Amino acid sequence: MDIFLQQLANGLTIGSMFALVALGYTMVYGVMKLINFAHGDMVAASAFVGLTIYTQVMGQATSLVAVIAIFLLTALSMAVVGILLERIAYRPLREAPRLSAVVSALGASLVIQNGIMLIWGPRMRIFPELVPQVYWDFGGVVISLIQVIILALSLILMVALYLFVEKTRMGAAIRASSIDQDAARLMGINVNNVIALIFIIGSSLGAVGGLFIGLYYRGITFNMGWQYGLYAFIAAILGGIGNIPGAMLGGMLLGLFNAFIAGYVSSTWADAFTFILLILILIVRPTGILGERVAEKV
Amino acid sequence: MKIGKILLALTAVSLLAVPAIAADTLKVGVQAPITGSYANEGQGIDNGVRLLAEQINAKGGVLGKQIEVVTCDDQGTAMAAAICAKDLVNKGVSMVIGSYTSTCAEAAQPTYYKAGVLQTSDGTADSLTEKGYWTFFRNSFPNSAEAAFVANYLVKEKGYQRIVVISDFSTYADGLANATEEAIKELGGNVVSRDKIKADSQNFTPVLTNIKSKNPDAIFFAGYYSDGGLLRAQQKALGIKADFYGGDANDNPDFVKLAGSAAEGAFIVNVPSPDVLPYDIAKSFIADYQKKYGEMPPSIWGLMNIDGMRAIIHGIEQTKSFDTKGVAEYLHGMEPLPGITGPIAFSKDGNREGGAYVVKKIQADGSYANEFVQ
Repeated sequence: MDIFLQQLANGLTIGSMFALVALGYTMVYGVMKLINFAHGDMVAASAFVGLTIYTQVMGQATSLVAVIAIFLLTALSMAVVGILLERIAYRPLREAPRLSAVVSALGASLVIQNGIMLIWGPRMRIFPELVPQVYWDFGGVVISLIQVIILALSLILMVALYLFVEKTRMGAAIRASSIDQDAARLMGINVNNVIALIFIIGSSLGAVGGLFIGLYYRGITFNMGWQYGLYAFIAAILGGIGNIPGAMLGGMLLGLFNAFIAGYVSSTWADAFTFILLILILIVRPTGILGERVAEKV
Repeated sequence: MKIGKILLALTAVSLLAVPAIAADTLKVGVQAPITGSYANEGQGIDNGVRLLAEQINAKGGVLGKQIEVVTCDDQGTAMAAAICAKDLVNKGVSMVIGSYTSTCAEAAQPTYYKAGVLQTSDGTADSLTEKGYWTFFRNSFPNSAEAAFVANYLVKEKGYQRIVVISDFSTYADGLANATEEAIKELGGNVVSRDKIKADSQNFTPVLTNIKSKNPDAIFFAGYYSDGGLLRAQQKALGIKADFYGGDANDNPDFVKLAGSAAEGAFIVNVPSPDVLPYDIAKSFIADYQKKYGEMPPSIWGLMNIDGMRAIIHGIEQTKSFDTKGVAEYLHGMEPLPGITGPIAFSKDGNREGGAYVVKKIQADGSYANEFVQ
């Protein structure tokens, strides 16, 4: 039983990281019907930006205030990069066929990935131990402070995002734009602002996810975005792409699925089973768990 | 416009002129992971080769020829390694230093063998010297030697009762882990679990959680430092009390950085580190290295490769010929050459002879202290 609970705790931790990253995919898809393939690399970039802010701006301070400042500054920097990404890579292709935008997204992914390599080098960089190594043992199940922080902060951010989208005027604008951009424009909604906003939110959440990866796993490499991006993408599809609570649920489920497969079947097969799961979803329920079945407009 | 045309013409002329100059040089290929997870080690090999080439060139080169270094990045993957091998052979190298991983050395081996290009690698997988390729020279000591040492140390010296052996899927790690598991069983030791992790996957808690339920008293990890540091950190995070032993590829400063405060108390098994090498030739080379690059060589592996290169150049000088077949015949069974990492001599199958291991314990400040010296 304690093995089960331990795997549960592990799964929820990585699941919440997947969920944070998946939100970026799903929000962009919801409004623009575009898979932002560069998102995974944005997440990787944020880990490096966070590391630079720690060494250059914060002077390697490890106090609580400094850690909070690192999170805020990294999220802010990545929000700016997100706006730039949308302006440079996607806005000029807004009216182009969808395939052009996808190719542009893949190109942006390569540019960001190689940009990280050129700026920070190809070597693995090591994240500092910003969160003290504190562990609690509950009858064989060990939970660390960093796990609690990741889980708690992820849940807070996700609830805040949900409330923002459901309860505020800007949130209503996002929802309207995701249903029909032209109609939203006729209602007086500035769709360009909405798109900029989702890139700001998506990139900031991705930045938090990237910092979590750095804090939890310590070693960060320029090409790690691909792996996390792929997992988050699967999580978004699992929950129903375009659906915000779906991305949260999908991320958590994928984290748990991965932990239990690796724990009970074989860690060798964890990735294979993850992709088999993706294929099964696409066959059985292409719109995902929470996605709505919408009839194709003719 | 006119200037552009002149420049173009000049470029074309200079391109044509290059092969004429190149014919007078001895081309030395470096096949190493310059990018990717093992970039630290790959750059160490490349830096070392370039430094040695510089030193030899300053003394007049090899039999009057200047050394020209050609580097190919194999990224630590077998696919890129195979491409590198073709590329280096096409560029006309007569010897190749590397690669760092056994997997990459193995993927490139047949190409060098067919082209008659000498290859020296620190790859420790036993399979590297079991193919009968006369072109291959191992500059490190094979897995089987380390496995025998580790098994004897864990079972006889320390008396562990419940040992776990972990590896990734690479040629080197899997080979070392299998050989160690076998050697432990031969000595009557008890391996309670033999697990595999996926390199670079970062999340090893599912595997470690299963290991925890087996209640081990020692864990031997046969993989690389980039995974080993994380494995150690996650072992501590899960409260697994077993002693952690990392195989030779964990001997890299990044292991300690990755494991953070969890590094303390972990053990690393390897041949002695660069900074404790007792040989004069080692001290002067490492001093030159530090002067040129402003840092210590990342590990012993780069220096092992430098020794391999020194041996081949020694062979060329002794046979007074660039004929690789003759050089290889000389190297098989030559008198031991004093090296940076100890005397170098090769057996008939291209294995480096000799080799002694140490067990090092990581201290609170991240430094090593010798726990056991063979």
